[in-house]
Amino acid sequence: MNKLRVERVSKMFGGLQALKNVSLETGGEILGLIGPNGAGKTTLFNVISGFLPPTEGAVYYNGHSLHRFRPHQIVRLGIARTFQIVKPFGDLSVLDNVLTGCGMPVYPSWRAFFRRYHTPLTEKAADEILELTDLSAWRDVPASSLPIGLQRRLEIARALATRPDLLLLDEPAAGLTSHEAEALAQLVRRLHQQGKSIIVIEHNMAFAMGLCERIVVLAQGEIIAVGPPEEIQNNEQVINVYLGRSK
Amino acid sequence: MPILQNLSNALVLASTYILMAMGLTMVYGVLKILHIAHAAVYTVGAFVGLLAYTWLGNFWLALLLAMVAAGVMGVLIYRGVYFYMLDKPRTVPLIASIGLFVMFTDLLQKDFLMGPYQRALPVAGAGMPRLRTEWFSITPKQMLVLAVTVMLLVIVYLILTRTRIGLGWKAAAMDREMAGAVGVNLNRVVAMNFFLGSALAGAAGVLVGVYNNSVFATMGDLPSYKAFIIIVLGGMGSLPGVIVASILLAVVENFLVASVGYVLPRDAVAFLVLILMLMFRPHGLLGQE
Amino acid sequence: MSGYLMSVAVFVGIWVTLALSLNILTGYAGQVSLGHAAFFGIGAYTSAVLAVRYGQPFGVDFLAAILVTGLAGTVLGLPSLRVRHDFLVLATMGVNFVVVAVFKYVDFFGGAMGLVNIPAPEFFGTTFRGGVPYLLLVWGYVVVVWLVSWYISKTWVGLAFHTIRLDEDAAAAVGVSSARFKIYAFGISAALAGGAGSLYAHFIGSVFPDTFVFVESIAILSMIVFGGVGTLRGPIIGAIILKAAPELLRFVQDYRFTIYGALLVLMMLFQPMGLIGEGSWLWRNLTALFRRPAASQQPQQEVAQ
Repeated sequence: MNKLRVERVSKMFGGLQALKNVSLETGGEILGLIGPNGAGKTTLFNVISGFLPPTEGAVYYNGHSLHRFRPHQIVRLGIARTFQIVKPFGDLSVLDNVLTGCGMPVYPSWRAFFRRYHTPLTEKAADEILELTDLSAWRDVPASSLPIGLQRRLEIARALATRPDLLLLDEPAAGLTSHEAEALAQLVRRLHQQGKSIIVIEHNMAFAMGLCERIVVLAQGEIIAVGPPEEIQNNEQVINVYLGRSK
Repeated sequence: MPILQNLSNALVLASTYILMAMGLTMVYGVLKILHIAHAAVYTVGAFVGLLAYTWLGNFWLALLLAMVAAGVMGVLIYRGVYFYMLDKPRTVPLIASIGLFVMFTDLLQKDFLMGPYQRALPVAGAGMPRLRTEWFSITPKQMLVLAVTVMLLVIVYLILTRTRIGLGWKAAAMDREMAGAVGVNLNRVVAMNFFLGSALAGAAGVLVGVYNNSVFATMGDLPSYKAFIIIVLGGMGSLPGVIVASILLAVVENFLVASVGYVLPRDAVAFLVLILMLMFRPHGLLGQE
Repeated sequence: MSGYLMSVAVFVGIWVTLALSLNILTGYAGQVSLGHAAFFGIGAYTSAVLAVRYGQPFGVDFLAAILVTGLAGTVLGLPSLRVRHDFLVLATMGVNFVVVAVFKYVDFFGGAMGLVNIPAPEFFGTTFRGGVPYLLLVWGYVVVVWLVSWYISKTWVGLAFHTIRLDEDAAAAVGVSSARFKIYAFGISAALAGGAGSLYAHFIGSVFPDTFVFVESIAILSMIVFGGVGTLRGPIIGAIILKAAPELLRFVQDYRFTIYGALLVLMMLFQPMGLIGEGSWLWRNLTALFRRPAASQQPQQEVAQ
């Protein structure tokens, strides 16, 4: 079973410590990653997905170290991600955006030169993902013309197209209406039922509490609490971090 | 001692590099545009300087006029072209800048402007003394180049540290949106920045014209390519970096030519250095990631 | 067709292939290059050296030009792995200067005097200097280059090029190695330009370093930007107009680079997608003209959904 282990990871940006000795283990669950702005959540995602090398520590996936793996190689291992600031391929249609993910196994081989990407087979695979993410209605419009909520969903669809076992979602519910957020939560649960492990960064406490089985709280680069939602809700340190800032 | 002589020659060369690259760095610092058309500003500066000098016969007046003309041209380029491209993909202003450069260089070569030939700019030294010691000597022309450069750098330093425009520039270089949000008048700052940077390029054009006693339409090409090398070496957008990198490049060029001779012309060597720099130290000699 | 028009048509064909080949690098993969003339030159010199110094026939020269230039493109594309955007433009500019300097200062390549007396191609005992056969040869190559461009745009490689042009981070997130595909783009683009160089060398019969300088790179870039970057039609139209106009109109010849430059600026100000690029004014109207009946039905369907 897919298992991610983050071991004593630290990350420095110049003099700023973005992550401090972070360790966690996950697999087969929906894990929430919460914390105030600047807590290091996205940095942790960037470290796991290979966009940033950790200053210290290491990340292991299924027992293998991800040290020196480049982001595109990590995707091939089965870890896909979305971005907090959405990065759809604006000029491409929604379908083609999903197809970019479907090509993941082909890109490194010479077949990439000789195979077309629009074939009944590839389109069927992409259409299934569009169906799953409820994007079929926008199949042929350019991604840049979608409203932000749909762009976020498209990013998830594109990540799914790489057939990941572990999905890293960076604030998927940001900017969504409560109705859209509920639909998103259902999608995430469905993916989890299909056997995918999921890590969600979330700002919206209520959303995270309702969705995740276990929650990790980061503050100033450190993990200050881990546990099921009910426990986190009553954790004094967490309340301090959150309430101390917002009120 | 030839080393000291070489060093003083290199310093003169470096002065012109500094003036040229300063404007490029200032533009890159705020707008993140590779202002390739800067070369044309430099040449126009030299050309106006030449006209003014033959007309008025006074070097200092000619220098002033050239700087003003170059500065105005810089502001016009900004207001007329780049201004409309600030939110477009970065290739848009880049290609426009290439277009401006090609257009001006070609236009300047036409007979009604400079024509395709070199013209003399016979300024003797504008009253500068000759410095001669046991180890090296500096001609009045070289003195002139050094003196004007130092003077202009002091003025730039004062403007950047002592005026609101300078503060605004620094803020804008750090974060354009943020600076706008805290009340910096971005348009004014950027326009001033273009004026100042272009005026410096104009001065560089005049000085090089005087020093080599020649002004011609394509005189800006090589210095501007070198200016790019310099701003890369200096770490894009850093003003002290420009000074260090200019001196370094001039010294290396001078010593290579003086001691080794060369297989390739020294300009090609400079470009090889550029490519290697970009590959191995993309943030400049002094810069950090 | 007069001999003069014939040679204009040959030149236009050669520059169409140059524009199409740069389009793969700049239009598809998004890597702006100011050094394409260097690849054109490497192809021309490879052919010239093989023909003049080693007496090889055209077929060998041509294939070698494509191969050598493709390899050179792969190697000279290496800076693109470390360097992005503006910096890459500087690097490609530098590559152009260095390559021309090598042609100029290395005696093997004939120095500033270039290499002369390159024989015309010979097939089955007949030489092809100028005339209709050479024209067909060149435009045959245009068709080949167009087909390659078209085919790439349909394959996974083409899709991967799109992703690295649009966003390298997102490309990595779908498993595209931007390093690998940039090198592919440089290699393919250079190889195709190398073929153009070979055709040029054997047509003119001589090569000089000054043909392949930096401003020629700008001219080629102007062609694709003017026509419409990234499309299959834009570079062709751009190259035909910008290459033929100076040959046919005296005024344009005199002010060639003034016009190229002004065109680049004006296009960037008003039509950054090019004359007939996707979404440009002209192309919108042209397509509307031909698709009017279909277009009037479509909005209703969308409303119905």
